[in-house]
Amino acid sequence: MALSSLSSLSMSLPLQKLPSVSKSSRFMSIRAHSAAPAASPSFDLRRYWTSLIAEVESELDAAMPIRPPESIHSAMRYAVLPGAGNEGTAKRAPPVLCVAACELLGAPRAAALPAAVALEMLHAASLVHDDLPCFDAAPTRRGRPSTHAAYGTDMAVLAGDALFPLAYTHVISHTPSPDPVPHAILVRVLGELARAVGSTGMAAGQFLDLAGASALGEAEVMQVLTKKFGEMAECSAACGAMLGGADPDEEAALRRYGRTIGVLYELVDDLRSASGNGKMRSNASVLRALGMDRALGIVEELKAQAKTEADRFADKYGDRVRPLYSFVDYAVERGFELRDAAATP
Amino acid sequence: MAAFHPLVASRVRISPLLPAAAAATAPVYACAAMPYARRRRFSAIVATAAAAAAAASSATEFDFNTYMGEKAAAVNRALDASIPADEPPAALHEAMRYSLLAGGKRVRPALCLAACAVVGGREAWAMPAAAAVEMVHTMSLVHDDLPCMDDDDLRRGKPTCHVVYGEPIAVLTGDALLSLSFHHMARTDSYPPDVDADKHPARVVRSIGELARCIGSEGLVAGQVVDLEMTGSAEPVPIDRLEYIHLHKTAALLEASVVIGAILGGGSNEQIERLRMYARSIGLLFQVVDDILDVTKSSEELGKTAGKDLASDKTTYPKLLGLEKSREFAERLLSDAREQLSGFDKEKAAPLLHLANYIAYRQN
Repeated sequence: MALSSLSSLSMSLPLQKLPSVSKSSRFMSIRAHSAAPAASPSFDLRRYWTSLIAEVESELDAAMPIRPPESIHSAMRYAVLPGAGNEGTAKRAPPVLCVAACELLGAPRAAALPAAVALEMLHAASLVHDDLPCFDAAPTRRGRPSTHAAYGTDMAVLAGDALFPLAYTHVISHTPSPDPVPHAILVRVLGELARAVGSTGMAAGQFLDLAGASALGEAEVMQVLTKKFGEMAECSAACGAMLGGADPDEEAALRRYGRTIGVLYELVDDLRSASGNGKMRSNASVLRALGMDRALGIVEELKAQAKTEADRFADKYGDRVRPLYSFVDYAVERGFELRDAAATP
Repeated sequence: MAAFHPLVASRVRISPLLPAAAAATAPVYACAAMPYARRRRFSAIVATAAAAAAAASSATEFDFNTYMGEKAAAVNRALDASIPADEPPAALHEAMRYSLLAGGKRVRPALCLAACAVVGGREAWAMPAAAAVEMVHTMSLVHDDLPCMDDDDLRRGKPTCHVVYGEPIAVLTGDALLSLSFHHMARTDSYPPDVDADKHPARVVRSIGELARCIGSEGLVAGQVVDLEMTGSAEPVPIDRLEYIHLHKTAALLEASVVIGAILGGGSNEQIERLRMYARSIGLLFQVVDDILDVTKSSEELGKTAGKDLASDKTTYPKLLGLEKSREFAERLLSDAREQLSGFDKEKAAPLLHLANYIAYRQN
């Protein structure tokens, strides 16, 4: 079968050797920066992100009314929408990346928002199935009972099954098409979304994780991270690029940028959880497999790669490239708490 | 469920189903007490009808068995080619292939291809969609068989996906097949080069929308949810609820198959809506006949456990209406479906006509 054009990007995050740096100083630099403000002075990532969370969540809310049969629609809402207060609050990183890529190219946010919302639906569907008793058996997710704990295993399987098609329905019915988004672009976006969660994307990552690949060597660990998190972030950036009217070079650069950011973000999460500085994670084995030194080295490499990709846009798009840089800094430094930001916009 | 609105209110109702009185006075447990002699008699009626259908098909010089054999072979080739062969993870792709290529009659893909042809399209234009509906069908079976759902160990005489590969991989296999169905339909290189370059992208978008709607929380999944909620309930299921379950669980995917075939074939809106009505009728017909066969045929004839519905105390049409009325209902649905085809070219409509007859008169 003919592979999609991005297959050449898959699996390999070219990691050049870095001079080894002492374990403690490296690690400290990450922690020390975690309280610092966002790096780009004239772009307020926190405000940008927070306003997007609000927009994405109000569109999610409207996209999932309680209709008969009520039980399934209620379970679907539970899986995707936050609960009262802070519980269930999600960062919505995939939609933010999607919108930022679209806006970078000067296209209206409205072109990308439905795809951004669909990304959250697909993401939630995968998480619901990933939490099932036969998988990770996670009793909680985002600080409250996971969907199967609240609605039963059978309903959780079906809620996931229904969220996948809802994502495609939402993109089709809400993306402004054929103007400004031509049908041919919309078809590509639909295919991109489906591929990202399919057997060569996120499902591959979940499968490899099941198979215990993250307990093996560096190549296997990076493969799990790339499939489970990099693919989704690549998809987010690629959808934003297509919807924003990117040319092939721009789309390819944004894909690489998205993939790198996705892995970077997750790897830093694992480092933070291992240092007791972040949320509890089940796959801290990533760190065990890589070793702290190597993990920190990879963080630096990914950061440099992502900035290189962003540099490509700096001349042409000027200030609009700032969100791209600030995501990189945020992914590494976590300069602010979005949870609070989301609660008090 | 607090506020239940039957589907019939939200979707087009399949023409007057039954006199209300028939539903009200139907002997609810008629077949539970049915003596052996009566079972034989109804079995004979089904058999006679089949003979009549066979006679009719030879008169139109349309060889249904050959047609189905050819379509199934073509669809199997498309399915085989659709699964990434040389991309990891190999074991996940193997599980997908195990479930997808396990045989089966490929009724849904055949409906999709036939609907494309009846509106004047080339069957090749609808082949990606035909493969997609079979992927969705397979995915629903894989998840349906899971221990937390129906908990079936055997499907088409083979161990089910979760028995062979384990539960988590079965969940992922279903998810991956669902994603593959949409990916396969969206990819430009799934289609032959002779599609109408101007109109094709819009048709694909519309088709994907139809498929997604028919299998989501207001389609296939809705049917499974309501069925799940009915199971284990001591109260008999009312007829409108039973119809809701079947229209969603079975008819919705048949509807998607036919409608997206017609869209990709370039059918007019009027043609598409006629075919939608056709599909809903045969979708319900499919289930009514299933219920009748369960009480009239032996396990040997069915190739699966007969009388399973009775044993599990599942609500069926024969139970609600009695066998005689169920048979009349089936006849009515078949004639409704045929009527929707009357406006089409007779020769081109032959496959759809025979598919409807096949669903009505099949013996297993």
